[in-house]
Amino acid sequence: MTTTEGSSRPPFYRDVRVLKWLFQLVVFAIVAAIALWLWGNFRRNAAASGIPTSFDFLSAPATFSIPGADFNPNSPVRSAYVVGFLNTLRVSIVGIILATVLGVLIGIGRLSTNWVVSRLSAVYVEVFRNLPLLVLLTFVFLGVVLQFMPPIAEAWTPVSWIIVSNRGIGVPWYEGVSGWALLLVLAIGMVGWWLIARWRQRVFERTGQPSRAGILGSGFFLVTLILGWVLLGAMLTLPSIDGRQIIDGIRVDPSFFALLLGLAIYTASHIAEITRGSIQAVPRGQGEAAAALALTGFQRMWKVILPQAMRIAIPPLGNQYLNLIKNSSLGAGFAYFELTNVTQTTVGNGSPSVPAFFLTLVIYVVISLVTSGLVNLANQRFKVVER
Amino acid sequence: MKRYRLLVALAALTLVFAACTDAGGDDTTTVANGDDGGTTAPSDGNGDGDDGGSLLEEVQARGELNCGTRDALPGFAVLNEEGEHVGFDSDFCRVIAAAVLGDAEAVNHVDLETTDRFTALQSGQIDVLVRNTTWSAGRDGTEGATFLAVTYYDGQGMMVNTGDFSSVTEMDGVVVCVAAGTTTEGNAATEAARLGLDWEVRPFPDTDLLQEAFIAGQCDGWSSDTSQLVGFRSAYPDGADSLTILPEVFSKEPLGPAVLDGDTAWAQAVNWAIMAAIQAEELGIDSSNVEDMLESEEVAIRRFLGQEFDDGEGNVATFDPGLGLPIDFAYQVVSQVGNYGEIFEEHLAPLGLERGVNALWTDGGLMYTPPYRP
Amino acid sequence: MTSPPTTLGTGTRAARWARKHLFRTWLDSALTIVFGGLALYLIFRFVLFVFVNARWEIIQVNLKLLMVGRWPSDQLMVMAVSVAVLGLWVGLIAGLVHRRQMRAGQSRLTAMTGGQRVVDLVRRFGLIIGTVLLLLALTNTNGPWLMAATTVVASVVGRVIGGAAGTRVLPRWVARTGVLLLALVPFAIYVYLSRTLALADWEGFFFNITSAIAGIILCFPLGVLLALARRSKLRLLQSLSILYIEFVRGSPLFVLLLMANVSLEFFVPASIAPSKVIRAIVVFTIFTGAYLAEIVRGGLQSVPRGQEEAAKSLGLSPTKQMGLIVLPQALRNVIPAQIGQFISLFKDTTLAGLALGILDLLEGAKAITQQPDFRGQGLIIETLVFVGFLFWVGSFTMSRESQRLERKLGVGTR
Repeated sequence: MTTTEGSSRPPFYRDVRVLKWLFQLVVFAIVAAIALWLWGNFRRNAAASGIPTSFDFLSAPATFSIPGADFNPNSPVRSAYVVGFLNTLRVSIVGIILATVLGVLIGIGRLSTNWVVSRLSAVYVEVFRNLPLLVLLTFVFLGVVLQFMPPIAEAWTPVSWIIVSNRGIGVPWYEGVSGWALLLVLAIGMVGWWLIARWRQRVFERTGQPSRAGILGSGFFLVTLILGWVLLGAMLTLPSIDGRQIIDGIRVDPSFFALLLGLAIYTASHIAEITRGSIQAVPRGQGEAAAALALTGFQRMWKVILPQAMRIAIPPLGNQYLNLIKNSSLGAGFAYFELTNVTQTTVGNGSPSVPAFFLTLVIYVVISLVTSGLVNLANQRFKVVER
Repeated sequence: MKRYRLLVALAALTLVFAACTDAGGDDTTTVANGDDGGTTAPSDGNGDGDDGGSLLEEVQARGELNCGTRDALPGFAVLNEEGEHVGFDSDFCRVIAAAVLGDAEAVNHVDLETTDRFTALQSGQIDVLVRNTTWSAGRDGTEGATFLAVTYYDGQGMMVNTGDFSSVTEMDGVVVCVAAGTTTEGNAATEAARLGLDWEVRPFPDTDLLQEAFIAGQCDGWSSDTSQLVGFRSAYPDGADSLTILPEVFSKEPLGPAVLDGDTAWAQAVNWAIMAAIQAEELGIDSSNVEDMLESEEVAIRRFLGQEFDDGEGNVATFDPGLGLPIDFAYQVVSQVGNYGEIFEEHLAPLGLERGVNALWTDGGLMYTPPYRP
Repeated sequence: MTSPPTTLGTGTRAARWARKHLFRTWLDSALTIVFGGLALYLIFRFVLFVFVNARWEIIQVNLKLLMVGRWPSDQLMVMAVSVAVLGLWVGLIAGLVHRRQMRAGQSRLTAMTGGQRVVDLVRRFGLIIGTVLLLLALTNTNGPWLMAATTVVASVVGRVIGGAAGTRVLPRWVARTGVLLLALVPFAIYVYLSRTLALADWEGFFFNITSAIAGIILCFPLGVLLALARRSKLRLLQSLSILYIEFVRGSPLFVLLLMANVSLEFFVPASIAPSKVIRAIVVFTIFTGAYLAEIVRGGLQSVPRGQEEAAKSLGLSPTKQMGLIVLPQALRNVIPAQIGQFISLFKDTTLAGLALGILDLLEGAKAITQQPDFRGQGLIIETLVFVGFLFWVGSFTMSRESQRLERKLGVGTR
C-alpha cells in the first residue's frame, strides 16, 4: 500500500504496474521463442526435403475423383476443397435437422407417463450417449450398410419409387427447373404463411373470431408450391435401375447415408438429454396452468412448455450442433468425401501436408466461430427476459 | 464482439502465414540455413541429415533400418502368426539391412497406409520405402522421393467377380473401387475417359474397407496393380476362382523402393544392395551355393562377393567401389536372404505370378543391372 | 392425460398400475402396444444374437490382442503385477477418503452394515464386475483369473490399511510423505510397465485406458493455467489464452490427430520426433486442456466473490488467494463436468487408433476379422458389439458415479 505523501512510488521491482508489463513481456518472449523455434524447424525440414510450403498446391490438378460429385480429376485442388466443404455442410445441416427432430421427440418421450415409452427413451439415451461415435459409425457402415443393404442386383424397393441398395438409395427428385427457383417458391410460401398467421392473429385479437392461422397458412403454402411447380415446368423424376446403376431420381450415397445415420442417432441422444433437462427446468406452474385452462396434452406441450424449454436449451443445443459439425470429419474413415477426407486424399496424392491441413483447420475454426456466433445471436433474441 | 475480433485475428494470422510461406516457397531446392542462423552445417553435397552427414552413416550408427511397408498384402508383405513381416517387399527390406548393417533382421518394419507413404518418408520416420510403390514423375518431383532399381515391373488391371464381364470394354455404367492416394486412382479415371466408358471411381482409405465393400457388392470392379490383385485374390474368402482378373493392362506400374531426395550416398547404397540380389541371380549365386561360390575361380564372382582375387597382374586385390557398404555386402545379402529369383519364387510364385517381364535380361526380361566392377 | 382422474378401477395392484401407466387413453394404449411390441422384438433378437447365433470364437481366440495388443506373452506377469498394485492403490485411497468423510460427518457408509455395504458396492460397480467376469470366462488360461483374484485381495487389503491409517493422527511429515508417495504410484507403475514394453508399443484396450488417463492428468495444469490466464486482466495473457481456447475448441479432434501424424515431423527435428502413442497423448492433452479451461473458468465464476474478498482481507497474497481458497472450491464445484470431459476423452481415444494407425481396441477388432481363420464371415458385427459393450460399460459406470457424486456434493441444488 503506497503512502500519500510525496511521490512515494515503490522501487520498480516491486511496482505492480511494472511487474505486470514485465510478466507479459516474459510470457510473450517465451511464446514467441517457442513459435520461432517451431517455425524455424519447419522451414528447415521443408527445404531440406524439397517439399513446398506455399499454398500453390491449390492450383495443381487434383488427380483424384470424388464419387457422387461431378468432379473432374483435372480440376485444381481448391475445387476439391470446395466440394469437400459443401459435402461437410450437406451432412451437417441434414444431420442437425434429423438429430433435433429425433432428439426432441425422444426427450419428450422420456417424460411421458406411458411407462413403455419413457423406459424405451431412457434406454436409447443411455445406450447411445455412452458409445464412442467411431464405434457407432463403424457399425453403421460395415454392419448396416454393407451387410444389411442388398447389392444392386437384389435392390429392395419397398415402394416402386424408392430403391434401396448398398450402392445408394434412390429417391424421387425434381428436374426441369433450377434448384434456386424452387427455393424461391418455397421462400415465398413460407413468408406468405408467416404474414397470414400475423394477419389472422390480429383479426382474432380484434374480433375474437377463430384465427385458423394454421389451416389458412398451410393452405397458402401448398397452393404456392403447386402453382410454382406447375408454372416453372418442373417434373418429378423417379429412380430406376439401369443395369448396375441407379439412374434418374437422386441417389443418396451410401457413405453419406451411413455418416448421416450415425451422426443423427448419436447426437439425438445428447439432444434428448438436453431437451429433458430444459423441459424439467420450465417451472411446474406453467404446465399446471395450462392444464387448468383445459388445453390438451399436445397443446400444452406445443404452445406452452416446449417454447419455454427450447429457449433454455439454445446454448447447449448449439454446442451439440457444433459437435456434430466437427464429428462430420469422421467421414474420412468411411469413404465419404467431406473436407477432412479431401485433405487426406490430396496430401496422399502429393500436396504438402502442413499447408493443406492448416487450411482445413482454419476452415473448421471459421465454421465453428460462425455457428457459435449464430447460436449466440439466437440466444440473445430468444432469451427469457426477466424483470 | 469477441468472436468477430477472433475471426479478424485468425484472418490476419492466415495472411501472415501465407505471405511468409509464399516468400519462402522459392528456395525449396536449397538447404535453408539463412533465417535460423545457420544451425545446419554447410552441406557437402553428400546428404542432409541433421548434422550434415548422410543417412547411410546414421543408419549404420543406429544399427537398425526403418523400412516403410504394409501388413496385409499377400505375397508382398503380410504378418504371420508370430507378428513377423513376410513377403517380397519385406525380404527386400531385409536385403537392404543385410547389405548396410550386415544383419538381415535388424529391420524395423513400419506399417503404413497408402496415404501416409510419402509423408513418412519426407518426415524421416522411415529411411526407405519398400511398399510396392509405383515410380512416377510426380513422385520424383513434388513428393520429393528418389526411386531406385525397379524390383517388379507391373501394370494396372481390373478384377471382377467371375462371370460378370469378360473384358474391360464391357464395363459401362459401373462402380470401380480403388485404393485412395494411389496412381491407380488417376489411371482408372483416365482409362475410363479413353475408352469412353462411364465409371464411378470410389476411392477407399484402406484396403480392408475396400475388400468389405467389394464382397458386399458395392463395387463391380476392383482396380489395382495386377500383382496386388493376384495377392488379394489368393486370400479371397469365397475362394480364388470366384474372382477373375481381366486381360487388359492399363498402365505401366514399375514398383521399387524409394528414398528421400537429396542424399546421394544413401540412395546409391540402397540401390546397389537391391541390385546385388539381381546380379547374384545372373551370376548363378543363390543362398544354397553362396558358401561354395566363395571359393570360385571366376574373378567376377570373387569380386562380387568381396573376396580377394588375382587382378591379372599378379597382385591380390579386393574391390571396394566406395559406396560406404561393407566389402562383403553382396555375400551377406545372398546368404542371409537370397537372390532375386529365390525371393520371387518364395513369395510371388505361389500366388501364380510368373516371371514374365521380371525375368533376367538373359532370359528376355527386364532385370538388367550395371556391372559390379571399377 | 387430461381426462379427469377417474378411479383406476378395481383389480390387483398390477392391473391398476397398468391402467395408469400403460393404457390410460386410446393413444396411450396404441403407443404401448406398438412400442412394447417393438421393444420385445428387439430384446428377443438381441438375446438370440448374443447367446445363440453369434460366433464368439473370434473374441476368445484374440482376447489378448484386443486387450493389450502385441504385449510379449511371457511378460504378462508384469501387467498382472501392475494391475494388482493399482488395486492396492485404489483401496488405500478409498480407505483414506472414507475416513476423511467420516471425520467430516458426510459418510453414509457408517450407517450401513457390512452386508449393506457389499450390496451398495455391487449395485454401483456390478456392471464392471460382471464385465470382468465375462472377460475372464472368455479366456482359456489361468493367468487372468489369478490376476483378478490378486487384484481383489490387494484392493481389500489396501482399503483396510487406508481405513486404519486414516484414523490415526500422524505427524505432519509422515502424512505429507505418505500423500506424496501415493501420488507417485501411477508414475512408478508407468516406469515399471515401460521398462518391459516401450510406451510406443502400447496397444489394445490398454492403450485406450492409459492414453485417456495420461491425457486428463497432463491437461490439468494446462487447463488451469489457461483458465486463469483468460480471467486475468493482463491483456496479452487474456488474448493468447482466448486465441488458444477458441482455435482448439473449433477444431475437430480427428483433424488434429491426422495433423499429428503427418505434419508434426516438420515442426520438430527428426531426432526427437516422438512415437505415435506419444503424439496421440500430446494431442489429447492439447485438446482436452482447452475444454478443461472452459470448465475451470465456469468453476471459478461459481465461487462467490466474497471468498476472494475474505481471503484478501486476511492478507493472503494473490497466489495464495487463488491456490488455497478460490481454486480448490472452483475445482470441487465442477467435478461432474470434469468427469464428463474424461468420459468424452475416453471415448475419443478410438479416434487415435483410426488417425494414427495405433492398434487400439477398435482397430484391433477390425484387424482380427481379416485373419485367415475368420475372414469373409461377417464377424465384424460380433467384434463391434464386443468393443461397443466394453466402452459402454466403462462410460456408463463413470457417468453414473458422476451423477451420484453430483447428488452427494449437492452441486446445483441451491
